Amino acid sequence: MIKQLAYYPGCSSLGTSREYDMSTRAVCELLGLDLKEIPDWSCCGSSPAHSFDHSLSAALSARNLALVETMGLDMVATPCPSCLSNLKTSSHRMQRETFRDKVNLLLDKPYMGSVKSMSVLQALIEQVGTDTIAAMVAQPLTGLKLAPFYGCIMNRPSEIMEFDDPENPTSMDRILTALGAEVVPFPLKVECCGASYGVPFKDIVAKLSGKLLSCALDAGAEAVVVACPMCQMNLDLRQKQLAKPAGVNFEIPVVYFTQLMGFAMGLPESRLGFDKLCVSPALLLSRTLAAAS
Amino acid sequence: MSVLTGKELRIVGFLCNWCSYGGADTAGVGRFVQPTDLRIIRVPCSGRIDPLFIVKALLNGADGVLVSGCHPRDCHYSQGNFYARRRLEVLKHFLPVLGIDPARFEYTWVSASEAQRWQKVVSSFTERIHKLGPASRLENTALPDGLEKRFAAIASGELPSDGKAATRLEELKDRIHEFLPDLDIVIGWQRGFDALHNTPLFMRSAEDLEKLVWGPLNIHNTATYLPSLRGKKVGVVVKGCDSRSVVELLQEKLVDRENIVVFGMPCSGIVDLSKIDRALRERGTGIGRVQAAECGEKGVTIKAGGQEYRFAMEEVAADKCFHCEYPNAVLADHLIGNASPSSSNGKISRQLAAFDAMSLQERMAYWRSQMDRCIRCHACRNACPLCVCKDHCIAQSRDPHWISQEDTITEKLMFQVVHAVHTAGRCTECGECERACPMDIPILAMKRQMNRAIRELFEYKAGTDPEAVPPLLAFQAEEKNIHEGVL
Amino acid sequence: MRIGVFVCHCGSNIEGTVDTAAVARAALGFPEVALATDAMYTCSEPGQDAIVQAIREKGLSGIVVASCSPRMHENTFRRAVERAGLNRYMFEMANIREHVSWIGKDREANTNKATELVRMAVEKLRRNTPLFSNKFDVTKRVLVIGGGVAGIQAALDCAEGGKEVVLVERESSIGGKMAKLDKTFPTVDCSSCILGPKMVDVAQHPNIKLLACTELKSVGGYVGNFQVELRKKATYVDWTKCTGCGQCMEKCPSKKSEDRFNERIGVTTAINIPFPQAIPKKAVIDPASCRHFLKGKCGVCAKVCPTGAIDYEMKEEVLTEQVGAIIAATGYDVFDISKIGEYGAGRYPDVITSLQYERLLSASGPTGGHIKRPSDGAEPKTIVFVQCVGSRDKSLGRPYCSGFCCMYTAKQAILTRDHIPDSQVFVFYMDIRAPGKLYDEFTRRAMEEYGARYIRGRVAMVYPQGSKYIVRGADTLLGTNVEIEADLVVLAAGAEAAAGAPALAEKLRISYDPYGFFVESHPKLRPVETNTAGVYLAGSCQGPKDIPSSVAQGSAAAAKVLALFSKDKLESDPQISRVDIKRCVGCGKCILTCPYGAIKKIDFRGEPKAEVVATVCQGCGICTSTCPQGAAQLAHFTDDQILAEVNALCRF
Repeated sequence: MIKQLAYYPGCSSLGTSREYDMSTRAVCELLGLDLKEIPDWSCCGSSPAHSFDHSLSAALSARNLALVETMGLDMVATPCPSCLSNLKTSSHRMQRETFRDKVNLLLDKPYMGSVKSMSVLQALIEQVGTDTIAAMVAQPLTGLKLAPFYGCIMNRPSEIMEFDDPENPTSMDRILTALGAEVVPFPLKVECCGASYGVPFKDIVAKLSGKLLSCALDAGAEAVVVACPMCQMNLDLRQKQLAKPAGVNFEIPVVYFTQLMGFAMGLPESRLGFDKLCVSPALLLSRTLAAAS
Repeated sequence: MSVLTGKELRIVGFLCNWCSYGGADTAGVGRFVQPTDLRIIRVPCSGRIDPLFIVKALLNGADGVLVSGCHPRDCHYSQGNFYARRRLEVLKHFLPVLGIDPARFEYTWVSASEAQRWQKVVSSFTERIHKLGPASRLENTALPDGLEKRFAAIASGELPSDGKAATRLEELKDRIHEFLPDLDIVIGWQRGFDALHNTPLFMRSAEDLEKLVWGPLNIHNTATYLPSLRGKKVGVVVKGCDSRSVVELLQEKLVDRENIVVFGMPCSGIVDLSKIDRALRERGTGIGRVQAAECGEKGVTIKAGGQEYRFAMEEVAADKCFHCEYPNAVLADHLIGNASPSSSNGKISRQLAAFDAMSLQERMAYWRSQMDRCIRCHACRNACPLCVCKDHCIAQSRDPHWISQEDTITEKLMFQVVHAVHTAGRCTECGECERACPMDIPILAMKRQMNRAIRELFEYKAGTDPEAVPPLLAFQAEEKNIHEGVL
Repeated sequence: MRIGVFVCHCGSNIEGTVDTAAVARAALGFPEVALATDAMYTCSEPGQDAIVQAIREKGLSGIVVASCSPRMHENTFRRAVERAGLNRYMFEMANIREHVSWIGKDREANTNKATELVRMAVEKLRRNTPLFSNKFDVTKRVLVIGGGVAGIQAALDCAEGGKEVVLVERESSIGGKMAKLDKTFPTVDCSSCILGPKMVDVAQHPNIKLLACTELKSVGGYVGNFQVELRKKATYVDWTKCTGCGQCMEKCPSKKSEDRFNERIGVTTAINIPFPQAIPKKAVIDPASCRHFLKGKCGVCAKVCPTGAIDYEMKEEVLTEQVGAIIAATGYDVFDISKIGEYGAGRYPDVITSLQYERLLSASGPTGGHIKRPSDGAEPKTIVFVQCVGSRDKSLGRPYCSGFCCMYTAKQAILTRDHIPDSQVFVFYMDIRAPGKLYDEFTRRAMEEYGARYIRGRVAMVYPQGSKYIVRGADTLLGTNVEIEADLVVLAAGAEAAAGAPALAEKLRISYDPYGFFVESHPKLRPVETNTAGVYLAGSCQGPKDIPSSVAQGSAAAAKVLALFSKDKLESDPQISRVDIKRCVGCGKCILTCPYGAIKKIDFRGEPKAEVVATVCQGCGICTSTCPQGAAQLAHFTDDQILAEVNALCRF
């Protein structure tokens, strides 16, 4: 059965995380999740808008949610946790009548509050399920040791995000296990990678991200698996910067979970965009292929 | 001395001694400022609060009534608030039937330590009542033009029927004949003083059996007589609705199953004599001049004053028969003939729909105009098969002194509410009250609305299961359909 | 009736916002009021004397006092009225302080409201009747539920007072939480050395019947005459034969049973005596891990038992006891630390509760008193204690302070240094709460003499790094983040209500708070009584408590029981229901709804009627609101009395 969801790609998917967007669309298509991109969607306001004005920030998200209502759908999925955080926070705040009226005043078409926002990860877990995912695996990731990294906002604050355990989430772990990979115990799976300090305080980022990558290596991981464009960019792009303060030459691939899903399900690499990553996972993946054959 | 005009409204509070009265005390000790309108009556437990106290207050000048007890599971008497919750919730559903805004009554839970919560409860309830303003007084309401007419023209719908009424009578007689020797008495119907007025028949011998009649004029509820015949072996011929009374009487252990033999007759609806009277009067004659009457498949043919009048059943059937759910006996030792198909189609009757369409103001005016006619003869109560109190009705006692002897609309309506509350969850809508009323007051309509509330709240229909406990004599710790108002 | 109305100033408490003289003047106009006056302090000795004098001199037959809440002084004034020769129930109060003068400053509205409340009271009083108590016998035996230190103390004090005691304990030995402790604060004396002798006293006292492995099934009856059903669980060992020699434990081949006594640090044998000082010292088989029960064959314990005490066929038994009073002393549970995901308890073996740590410290514990990490048995050098885990945390629904964690953490810091002199202890705390005798001095010693490093702040996260754990937290005094590499993390888990507490409360018909702790009758003045007569509280079941407070409450509850038992007859509350047999039609609706089964069906000249069992009725009045013909009437809250109040207010 094909399930229809509105799809909110978010700005990163047009640039730094095109491979996340590509692989998400490819995987969902394969699994029967019909993602309908919101026509004429706009920026969610992440991350500066809410620090300026709550109602303006909420209006940015609410505009997109109102568009989902026009599409006649009641669920929207987005790959980006930051977008998700904005969509959900806006919906949450707009449950308050006074705030809702204030925001709707700013919009051409008011948002009625009928849309449930979720991450692509949540959609895959709840709308597809790990059993279906496991059944679709063509080349299991046997022997691959992976550290799933959820980032700091995917599940927090839990009363707004309402998905998975905020301190010890396991949804991505379950998907990776379904793909046949080995998930290493990764205690820092919900730590901050420092992404928002990427420009002003590089030393802080170096410390935070360095610690994450070291921890992943210590845990025996061969790759870090992420679900957030900001985390991915931060952890992947900066490995050289981090090498010096950490005293380690990391060279550890940081891949999107959707890319690995696509790979395990036998989708062509042209639809998964592994070539867009800085640290190439090619070696690892070819090893998996060899092990499988 | 009363409420301060322009400043206060009349708000009465009933608080349980252990939690909420303590909570109000704690709020006082903490100097939590509150509006001055509320006057608190202290009772040991919210379970002590008879919903009729609240009706009494609201009919006699209260603008709002607030009840507060211990939180569920925290009752000092362990179960009192559970009973209270059911009774008060039913009352909340019933008040609009009388034309009283249900927002004027609220019940909630406040513990002895919740001073701040008590302050909030009092403040928000008082604010609510002030927003609603002074309550309209029953005595002062006036009936809007045309309402009575609008109401008279409503009854119609589907009746149960299978058209085999005539053949069944012989079968019924045979069956009674067979069992009569083992029984002291069998209750059925016979022709009364005229062709329209059938009356109950008490058969003791085969000769009596010859008087037995069957048809839409068998209006009386035969079950009514069972409790007074307790101890005797009694056979009873029942329509579907009568059988529900039998079930209810069994449920309340007012009759003994082993002493009762039920002969179930499939029913295709009965007539409402007041409708016939009205129809005849419109044609210039009256029910008093009836010379002959015949009921056939097509309806009722009446000869009166030398003229013949023909009425379709749809015109003259009792309101309760439209959309009847139980045309067949729900409990019977002997079922006669084929079952009548139920005419219930999930729709509410037009009578109820017409009530629903009235505004609160109109409803109050409506009851005022109806009760104006009441002569306090208590025939409605005396005819009720489920009135257990009989000679000890609180309508006629000084201790307790619920109702005064004053001839006011309020006291008359209060009596009807007493009966409706006492039969809530027990009334099977047999309609005896309305049949017995010499003033043609639609009392059953009030009961049916009460029953609807009971059905919505407890998914319960009185007189369908002999093993069930009437919902107001029971409770659940978690009530599926009750969501207490938040104050 | 000649009614006297006394309107109290309560100093300025009432007079400040209510014109009491005006209220009294208005009251003179109410029906049957013969005297109305205002007074400075009605509850004072001269105030009461004035009432007594007025009754005698003016021939009053009923009194209304408009003052504070009846919950405050109703009894005081009832006694005064009684002194003057009136029945104590010929008295009513109008609450014009808590419900009027203290909740608003509008003098006009307050005076008007106070006057109305007085009118209500007068109207009710006009319908009051004298009520008289009945006397009934008392069964002078007490049931103590729970054999922790509070229950032990209560049982011993009652037994010493010469009363028979039935002490039930859910586990196979009494001792409770205190038996699991290594040392106690602030004296650091050995817990089992001070508790052990008391436990032995319980076992040997001729007045105490100890029932271990037993739980309360149901309670019927009322103060002075409770019938209690007890469920004695199957232990599969005949305790009349078991000598506690322990040979079965030595030979038991199944060694994977959950070790509840040692807080699940390690495992134990399927047949087990929880600890050496256990009272009663009897073995119990855990069928969840016993091979005989799992696989159907083994029987080693039956073979080695020198007295042939093993009985695999044993069944649960239900015992019945008659008692006159009940003391609930069911203690508390430790907060489930795995609920706090960021600390990783449950995932990381070396993140443990302080009670588990206590077992590591104890010489009779699984490590023989050597502190070893559960993961690898290594001796930890850096130990981080985190306080307020599951206490003072709204987000976990535990906003209350558990009270004793600051103290035992200090104790454990000291003991740690004693056990491992080269260790370093860190304590994360929110505030130090050490208000007991010698308590604050004790925490200072932990810091100053034993060098424990106290860091004021919360821990954000614990995660493993190599064989160590990184404890990351805030130091709010320095305003920095801190990260400590720890070998062992001990969480000072807060106290929460025992798992079965609400269910037990419902059986005992006592109240419990939103957290499940039992509610005392008055937070200050009746701390060990409950709202159900004859049921008392001791120890942590009423709220978290340390040992001295638990013991004090145990003794206090015992004193209450002994005072109750000092009377041969008890007086019943006459505010109970009565059925007017003339009005009763025997429909039985009251019997159906009475929560106490206090109404029975009787035969009156061949007619069924209802009758109230006076000693069982608690006076809730549910029957009164159920009875359609008003035959059942709750004395002092009859329909007519309440209607009189309604009518006093609602008159067009």
